[in-house]
Amino acid sequence: MSAILEIDHVTRRFAGLVAVSDVSFALNEGEILGVIGPNGAGKTTLVSLISGTLTPSSGDIRFQGQSITSLPAFRRARLGIGRTFQIMRPFPGLSVLDNVAVGALFGHGEESTALQEAREKARRHLEFVGLGRFADQRADELGGPGRKRLELAKALAMEPKLLLCDEVMAGLNHVEIDEVIDVIRKVRDSGITVLVIEHVIKAIKSLSDRLLVLHHGEKIADGEPDVVLSDKTVVEAYLGKRRA
Amino acid sequence: MSKTIRIAIAVLVVIVLAAVPWFGSDVVVQFGISTLILAVLAQGWNIIGGYTGYASFGNSTFFGLGAYGVGIAMVQWNLPFWVGMVFGAVMAVAFAILLGIPVLRLRGHYFAIATLALAQVVAAIVSNIPLFGENIGLVLPPLNNDAMFYELSLALLVAATLTVWWLTRSRFGFGLIAIRENEEGAAVMGVDTTRYKIMAFALSGLFSALAGGIQAYWITFLDPASAFDISLNVKMIIMAVFGGPGTIFGPVVGAFVLSAISEVLSSEVTNIAGLFFGIVVVAAVVLMPRGLADIVRHFRSSGWRYFAQNIRAHRI
Repeated sequence: MSAILEIDHVTRRFAGLVAVSDVSFALNEGEILGVIGPNGAGKTTLVSLISGTLTPSSGDIRFQGQSITSLPAFRRARLGIGRTFQIMRPFPGLSVLDNVAVGALFGHGEESTALQEAREKARRHLEFVGLGRFADQRADELGGPGRKRLELAKALAMEPKLLLCDEVMAGLNHVEIDEVIDVIRKVRDSGITVLVIEHVIKAIKSLSDRLLVLHHGEKIADGEPDVVLSDKTVVEAYLGKRRA
Repeated sequence: MSKTIRIAIAVLVVIVLAAVPWFGSDVVVQFGISTLILAVLAQGWNIIGGYTGYASFGNSTFFGLGAYGVGIAMVQWNLPFWVGMVFGAVMAVAFAILLGIPVLRLRGHYFAIATLALAQVVAAIVSNIPLFGENIGLVLPPLNNDAMFYELSLALLVAATLTVWWLTRSRFGFGLIAIRENEEGAAVMGVDTTRYKIMAFALSGLFSALAGGIQAYWITFLDPASAFDISLNVKMIIMAVFGGPGTIFGPVVGAFVLSAISEVLSSEVTNIAGLFFGIVVVAAVVLMPRGLADIVRHFRSSGWRYFAQNIRAHRI
């Protein structure tokens, strides 16, 4: 297994606050890596640093061996990094189908895809995440769970090599969570490497091949889910010292 | 309506409009020219404001540069009109690209304010350059051929509208709409947002400049105050928003309807025409904030309740 993504001593500071502190890890091709941590641990910042909506204060990020640290977000997208947003970013005035078609149109860079073809691809991705029958609705008419799925479909339409999922299960019920887990497994089986950020520990435990724990911006654990979740520092970070 | 019928209607409207100089009076043709020019401006604004979501107040600057392109070429260099049009267009596009790079980093109100200042700054600069006739202005050779100005303006409007139609079915247009709807979301999906915004700004500026060039030759006089008139920019925004920003025909219909209302008012109630025009605009914003195009889309399902819904939705 070779590393598709390498995070090398990456730090991101905001005025007076270190959101991500000297984090290093590698993501292997075909792997599902779960990233967990309490609120404010720096999970979303980490995803933003990889997708390019934020740039690191120091450190290097390599994708398929090439440094992408100084590339703007759209270039990283075209290299094959797709992401979803925790706070959803649909194109509200467009139809659900056209939201996804944007990914098919632009995910591959300048090579031009015809609009018709992009919409056909988009329809397949909507079917895949279970939104097929909502294709012609406006995106802002979808409910919360629907929007989570739309985020996934938009990222998948770019046909990424690496998919970053930022809390795609938050706010979903058990049945919906199981469905999303199923979708993410299928995504991985189709050859896409996945990084999942999640709050719902139970869900991510069964899904991930490996877990990484962030706390106050620092990596405090990285390894097999069962081992990580019984680690003393991890339990302390989540439940407080006395309970541990 | 099927697609063929809609295209047929559009072609028919263009033919009828093109025939106006042959049966309309001089007054009608003159009204037609100024309305067509405003419609081109509204349609040009539609590209950056309606489709890309950047409320530009810089389009009157492009209009002025286009006007000066023709003025300088014809008065200072004795070149033909069309060379002036090209010169003005080149100036406007170059200006849009150079200024777009810093200004298009700003969003929302800040972008509006930054572009608002542009017209003032450029007018001040132009007033001090001899080539531009300083603040005395330029007097162009008169051409008494309103039919030609009319057909030229109509052709430009058709070109602008076809461009917008192309936007709605092209990759470029989809990128612009994605930027309008959510810029960060567009970037992570691979849209080169900076380049697309600049291209939209330049395209919008191109049509404004060509309209300015026609206007300058038609009026045969231009000075900094009239060429870089910010109220013209306000007008094109009102017209585009009245008709429906981000739609193919909305801005054109908006320009025609508002020009007609304004014309009737100023001939019927000369003194307080501005007041009535203001009332029309306020009523439009309250009752149909998304423009005429939105009424057409929703009136059939909600009827007169459409207006009540808008009032309630905006808590007025």
